[in-house]
Amino acid sequence: MLGKLMKHELWATAHAMLPIIGEMLLVAVMGNVCVRLGNGHDLPAAVNIIIMLVMVLFFVGIFAIGLVTVYMMVRRFRDNLLRDEGYIMHTLPVSVHAQIWSKVLVSALWYALAAVTIVAAVVLLTFDADTLKVIGDLFRTLFIVTRSNGQIAEIVIECLAMLVLASVTMSLSFDAALSVGHSFARHKMAASVATYIGLLILGQIALSFAARLTVMTNFYGYLDAPFVDVYAFMTYWRGICGANAGLMILEGAVCYGITAYFLKRRLNLE
Amino acid sequence: MAILECKGLSKSYGPVRALDGVDFAVAPGRIVGLLGPNGSGKTTLIKLANGLLTPTAGQILINGQVPGIETKKVVSYLPERSCLPEWMSAAQLMGFYGDFYADFDRTTAKAMLARLNIDSKARLRHLSKGNREKVQLIMVMARRAQLYLLDEPIGGVDPAARDFILSTILSNYNPTATVIISTHLIADVERVLDDVIFISQGKVVLAAPADQLREQQGKSVDQIFREVFRC
Repeated sequence: MLGKLMKHELWATAHAMLPIIGEMLLVAVMGNVCVRLGNGHDLPAAVNIIIMLVMVLFFVGIFAIGLVTVYMMVRRFRDNLLRDEGYIMHTLPVSVHAQIWSKVLVSALWYALAAVTIVAAVVLLTFDADTLKVIGDLFRTLFIVTRSNGQIAEIVIECLAMLVLASVTMSLSFDAALSVGHSFARHKMAASVATYIGLLILGQIALSFAARLTVMTNFYGYLDAPFVDVYAFMTYWRGICGANAGLMILEGAVCYGITAYFLKRRLNLE
Repeated sequence: MAILECKGLSKSYGPVRALDGVDFAVAPGRIVGLLGPNGSGKTTLIKLANGLLTPTAGQILINGQVPGIETKKVVSYLPERSCLPEWMSAAQLMGFYGDFYADFDRTTAKAMLARLNIDSKARLRHLSKGNREKVQLIMVMARRAQLYLLDEPIGGVDPAARDFILSTILSNYNPTATVIISTHLIADVERVLDDVIFISQGKVVLAAPADQLREQQGKSVDQIFREVFRC
């Protein structure tokens, strides 16, 4: 059933997200044309204003797309599981766990696509023969480096895994806050925001404890000179990544538990 | 075995007791009116049967099981409000219901939509409120479920729409199934009911076959309801 839920979730979110992504890429292409037009040409004032507006739109879009994606995913969770549509969703013969995972995995996918869109938009904006050469050189260098030293590839993969983990944890923390907030009879969104702030504070306290623990146990003590060679750096890197991943998994598990409990036991549909 | 059974069922919202020690059982193949004034606990009872709420005390059982994935496979639920995603079309909804419910009959749903001249390709947001509610009823009644829980299906609609809704329910429900209709508009549903359950302030005050009640008291169920719930 998770597959079916994800199929419908993807469809439901795609009809909102794909136009946003398409528009961002279109603005990037328009920006590229504007850059070429404005480069070394003497243009009328009206055209210069249009070029400036397109560039402003591009940079606003780059900053906004991440926020819009988060907003769309939060709104989707709230509207689909905690408001009227919840009467349909919570009476489907599927578990609460499948409901949560379908939302989290699809959200993570859109966060990743938003990140890819930002990169693609920047590439499209600056795209010309020289850029193409620079990108080609970059990939070639990366390929050579990863072939000669597999640990670089490992770092890249670990970074991507951390990004996925961070987006899943972020989704779960929003879901937990909304689930708690919407169990209240009134002021549900205010309660959700307060819960989110509470979760953030708890997360920071846990992080401080973890940091204190690493100092007390001299966790990084054996890495006084982490950049001596690539192996020392990798050990250092793994330590940092492992600790962060551990904290994120812990935070995600707590938020998942809260979400599942409130959807199962404290559901309060309007 | 009873299709729906409540054993000492209670539900409180903070200090407010919405249901208080409710006991009754509903046999398969009956059309039951869950009758009571606004705020009597009808919707809470139906939400509990659907697993949308958890009892504070007691038990509610569907086919002998507490509400969960297995019971949701055999229960078809019409909420009191329109809650279908408005960005979807009726055709997409049929795909959605067909994906999750093995007992969903797409042919029946298509026939009902065609009879009402509802464009299955049009998004729900482009339909009138009345047609949206009809689409929701069609999705619920196109299932071959064992238990239909209909919460205020005729509340807030005009008399012509009430007739359509009742005829849709009567002509489409699985005859071996049980239909529970929650309402306070007794006169409109009285003719279709086999059994009635009167609920007031969270307690069952009367539960009997409709014919027996009419014979014993020499009054219609609507008149009895008005006497029981006189303000």
